[in-house]
Amino acid sequence: MASSATFTTLFLSSSFAAHCNISNHHRQISSPKTPPLSIFKPLSLKLTSSLLLPKTPTFSSIPKSSESDAAVVDVEPDNTEPEPQTESEPEPEVEPEPAQVVEASNEEPKREEIFAVVMIGGRQYIVFPGRYLYTQRLKGANVDDKIVLNKVLLVGTKTTTYIGKPVVTNAAVHAVVEEQGLNPKVVVFKYKKKKNYRRNIGHRQPNTRIRITGITGYQDYPAVTLNS
Amino acid sequence: MNKKEILKLAKGFRGRAKNCIRIARERVEKALQYSYRDRRNKKRDMRSLWIQRINAGTRQHGVNYGNFMHGLIKENIQLNRKVLSEISMHEPYSFKALVDISRSAFPGNKNVVLPTRKVNVSSINV
Repeated sequence: MASSATFTTLFLSSSFAAHCNISNHHRQISSPKTPPLSIFKPLSLKLTSSLLLPKTPTFSSIPKSSESDAAVVDVEPDNTEPEPQTESEPEPEVEPEPAQVVEASNEEPKREEIFAVVMIGGRQYIVFPGRYLYTQRLKGANVDDKIVLNKVLLVGTKTTTYIGKPVVTNAAVHAVVEEQGLNPKVVVFKYKKKKNYRRNIGHRQPNTRIRITGITGYQDYPAVTLNS
Repeated sequence: MNKKEILKLAKGFRGRAKNCIRIARERVEKALQYSYRDRRNKKRDMRSLWIQRINAGTRQHGVNYGNFMHGLIKENIQLNRKVLSEISMHEPYSFKALVDISRSAFPGNKNVVLPTRKVNVSSINV
């Protein structure tokens, strides 16, 4: 943690930016963010995390960036198809790679460098525009509904931080409901020894996946300017 | 559960517990009991981890965890420990701003011990 003395604000968002673009191009490849408890979550968390584990979430940022590198190599050859396949193998391997690297770095600046801490369903999440997030099931929300989250506790940009007491007034996080699903099954097994008592129950908690589209409304709040 | 499900849950167990149903059943039941208990323990462990991380982060700025949280409560900042630990790891400037706010709200007692820089004997070039 002492090594983070370098200017690493929003390093999470910049390292995930490449992978977010890929999840926009290819709907199949979407690596999960850290789960809420972790962290990130996971993240991503976790706990986990989300985030945790995010949950996770959060704690597994290094494997995530390697995941995004692998995804870049897989996805980009589709865009650079029209190469003649009759060439010898070393040449097509060398040529696509600089093209992929250049394209990935040109696409990154589309992401705005901002994050917010938002409270949903009694839990707090660190949120970036363009990423998705699993929360408790939002009753009455249908797929492709636009949602505005008002309990924004902190907003951070590259140069300033807006710390809410407790809430940043007039700040709003806009999101779109993507899917109303269920968490993976958890087996609840209750057992008392020597009393012949066994109960085996499966449980899937309902969740909602929302994708964050933007963070607005924080500009007029008294800010803390960071010395960068 | 029938035998097939039990042996599927017993993958990775040691010795006969992964192959033989009578032994596997006992071990799988124990494993499920542990997972029930540990889903509750995980919440406690994670909170303790977050507190350790926040403590480490604030002590780098000369404030200890107790005074830091007291200052945040006085200022009515309701960020929870999970988010505070993530900010302390990934957003150092925002975290420093939080520490400054807390320090101005509650200067605390004078007994804060800053971590001393220990110099390793072998790294000194004579």
